[in-house]
Amino acid sequence: MNIVEIRNLNKSYPSFHLEDVTFDINEGEITGFIGRNGAGKTTTIKSMLNLIHPDSGKISYFGKPLKENEAEIKKLLGYSTGSVTWYPRKRIKDTIGIVKKCYDTWDEEAYHRYLDLFGLDENKTALELSEGMKVKYNLLIALSHQARVLILDEPTSGLDPFSRDELLCLFEKLKEEGTSIFFSTHIVSDLEKCADHIVYISKGKIVSSLPKAEFKRQLSKEGENLEETVLRLEGGE
Amino acid sequence: MRNLMIKEMKLSASVLSYLFTLFGLMFFLPGYPILCGVFFVTLGIFQSFQNARETNDILFSALLPIAKRDVVKGKYLFVCFIELCGLLMMGIAVIIRMTVLSEAALYRNNALMNANCFSLGLAFLIFGLFNDVFVGGFFKTAYKFGSPFVTYIVLSFLTIGIGEMLHHFPGLESLNAFGTEHLILQISLLVSGIVIYILLTYISCRRSCRRFERIDL
Repeated sequence: MNIVEIRNLNKSYPSFHLEDVTFDINEGEITGFIGRNGAGKTTTIKSMLNLIHPDSGKISYFGKPLKENEAEIKKLLGYSTGSVTWYPRKRIKDTIGIVKKCYDTWDEEAYHRYLDLFGLDENKTALELSEGMKVKYNLLIALSHQARVLILDEPTSGLDPFSRDELLCLFEKLKEEGTSIFFSTHIVSDLEKCADHIVYISKGKIVSSLPKAEFKRQLSKEGENLEETVLRLEGGE
Repeated sequence: MRNLMIKEMKLSASVLSYLFTLFGLMFFLPGYPILCGVFFVTLGIFQSFQNARETNDILFSALLPIAKRDVVKGKYLFVCFIELCGLLMMGIAVIIRMTVLSEAALYRNNALMNANCFSLGLAFLIFGLFNDVFVGGFFKTAYKFGSPFVTYIVLSFLTIGIGEMLHHFPGLESLNAFGTEHLILQISLLVSGIVIYILLTYISCRRSCRRFERIDL
């Protein structure tokens, strides 16, 4: 079942165009969003969160258009990005103390569980966190309010191999609990490890949106792994 | 909206926004252009906008489970709250100067504007200008505030200057009334200031909500 539908999304910038981006996110699946830097991954994700105003196109969650049901839909979404930090000089617990008031589904037990799992000290300020810990901090917020869909912009960037592996295992566990995950990455091995579905974007256009096995069957040459396939496709062969 | 207001007060606000409301008490100063106190209150609010920009507050707010336009409404609510705190200080000063201190020589011999209902009406007008020019200007981009603030400075000091001059013109002496003199005129001017404040704030907020919907964060 499709829980997120993106249809004919267009957005023009002076030097970049997102063109007719169309794909779905299926319930209880991990969808990997792959593309090189500047391919349009973040623009698409920001449009999915109504942070960017698309020129045209439709975005709906659970069959409801985002524009008309924004507040209701955002309660069911978790978002994380590795690169942005909120209130860098505030202690984590002070920022989260405010965030939790905004979600009636906030799960305090889950919050403490993930706090321990990620090894985060809630008395630290965001400024005192390493890049990897910043990703975990954002994930902590996304995971503690029982989001049904997680939209993660390059969550594995900046993580060491152990943390990356931990995170991908966590994705699998969340999937088993019924959470749908959509994450962008430029690290193809992340997809190999845990994605059920792959959306591949290049130069602002969706090249393919297929289940992983079908993606490999249709696009990979014999003996090629996923990384080699994507590299070949990006190379224009 | 209540949670958004708590977020504004605890996460985005600069402590200067709260401290600078005390500049409302400049309405007690004799021989000083008392409306400068209004400007200082808005200077404190400006610090919160600076703080918000440095801490990615707008993007953070837009990701909360609220409609995008509610980010704008939250900011206006906070701005109005601080302004009303400043106005409370000014109101206290005006009431005391209009009653127990109405005959004080210190204020009677004051060549500058007297603290009365007219000055309070002008304070409302300047706050309305701040909301329209600065806050409305900020939400054109949600990050640029230099040019809106400079425009506001020019307009606010023009208003202060004109306000200070008016009662020196023949026939307009009643603007500088002491105690309960010309009370009906004075109250009418205060009500006019309040109406202009509400209108400017409401129009600016609606326009900012519309603009913010189209901004790419």
